[in-house]
Amino acid sequence: MSARNEIEDTAAYWLSRRADGLSSEEQARLDAWLDASAEHKTVFWRLEFVWEKTGRLVALRGPDSLTEVIMEAPPPATPRRVLTHWVAGLAAALAVVVLSSTALLWPQPAQYATDTGERRLVALSDGSRVELNTETRLRAAMSPDSREAWLDKGEAYFDVAHDASRPFTVHMGDRTVRVLGTRFSVRRDGDKVQVLVAEGRVRLSGSKVDPASRPVVLVRGDVATGLGASVLQSRTSDQRVDDQLAWRRGLLVFDQITLADAAVEFNRYNQTQLKVLDSQTAAIRIGGSFEAANVEAFVRLLQSAYGLEIDRDGEIVKISE
Amino acid sequence: MVEDDELKAWFFREVFPLEAALTRFIRRNWRNESDVADLRQDIYTKVYTAAQQQLPLQARAFLFTTARNHLINTAKRAKIVSFDLVADLEASFPEAMSADLDRQLTARDELRRVQAGLERLPSRCRQVMTLRRVEGLSTKEVAAHLNISVSTVEQQMVHGLRALTDYMMGGQGRIRRSPPKTSVAKSESRS
Repeated sequence: MSARNEIEDTAAYWLSRRADGLSSEEQARLDAWLDASAEHKTVFWRLEFVWEKTGRLVALRGPDSLTEVIMEAPPPATPRRVLTHWVAGLAAALAVVVLSSTALLWPQPAQYATDTGERRLVALSDGSRVELNTETRLRAAMSPDSREAWLDKGEAYFDVAHDASRPFTVHMGDRTVRVLGTRFSVRRDGDKVQVLVAEGRVRLSGSKVDPASRPVVLVRGDVATGLGASVLQSRTSDQRVDDQLAWRRGLLVFDQITLADAAVEFNRYNQTQLKVLDSQTAAIRIGGSFEAANVEAFVRLLQSAYGLEIDRDGEIVKISE
Repeated sequence: MVEDDELKAWFFREVFPLEAALTRFIRRNWRNESDVADLRQDIYTKVYTAAQQQLPLQARAFLFTTARNHLINTAKRAKIVSFDLVADLEASFPEAMSADLDRQLTARDELRRVQAGLERLPSRCRQVMTLRRVEGLSTKEVAAHLNISVSTVEQQMVHGLRALTDYMMGGQGRIRRSPPKTSVAKSESRS
């Protein structure tokens, strides 16, 4: 019996625990354990190497497996999608008739929207709460047997009330996120979609037009970015999750991102638009946390700390070296 | 100093895929079978420490050179060094360096291997691993689903993951249970 056996046990235990999500105190303990020796780290990585491979087994999951049963609601009696497409193809007069009948079957979704720089908290009738970030449009329809929301644009943080009999679905273009009860944020920018899981588990289904795309299950700390037919999945630390959700407190937290990216972020929240003139300036790295609405403070910082040239033209602020 | 993220990616990409070949190399050159896993771990630790300074360009050459040196040093320390050992090491070294030895697994092979590894586990352990990793249930959900305690699920995950790792890396995939915690003396072969 060697010390290695004990180390492997400890590493395997932590790996399994981490997949459920660690508190920041637990994460600190794991980090301390990993940093304690090169042996801990390599043992942990070796198990993680295989752990990640087992995750790919999801691809083999059959259609009647347990998760499907838990997560998929029974299909609606009349497929809404077919109906919607049908409506689009019909003459206006006919459409009116059909629309009124669909309106009877499905309550009109409630609409929620925010302006530039605005944040809004929405309480849905099922007990779920949604926080809308700047320039966001969301529709939601709660019925006795389904919970659905459509993110037309922008960014929203969902705190979904648990209800095993009524999965909560968020549609973003042809992608959908389906959950029972959990916390996550979604961001949509045209057909680019990003999902970040803060707690629990969500399932992201690919675009319907591509039958080969398989749903992915995301857990706490997972970030999935979908663009076109592809989905990029990555993991992030608890700290990064907090940073990415800092907008809920009106903050932008940058971890050494380029000034070009920082400008894009600020521009989402303000009428004043930052414009970086040259590529050298655009590549400057920015770190720190900033008030999203206080673009003036950010501009002053660029001027004083980075020595950049600021040139104002109405609502446009031009930045150069 | 190489960052851990980069080191880890390098281990995943370049080092761990060579484990089956590395294990064969150690086994061929070391009498005592029960030392093999410890020696391999020592080698990983040494590779990690050295790679922290700079990522080696030739992972395979670096790994097997480290392995050879470690076997020779360990043998010297244990005073079991013989000309045979060193001669054998030198003889098997070029062979271990040849990349043809280990067939790279395709993604499909790998999936099959994970499946085969899972099927070798005792049924309760397999059930837990499958619910957790294939169905994506959390520890609590698995415990509730199987009507067993959370700590049992955690224990089964530890056994299952270790056995599966062993199998995936070219071993037999047997479950090795640790005896109850006592003060464990490091074995002779360790540095």
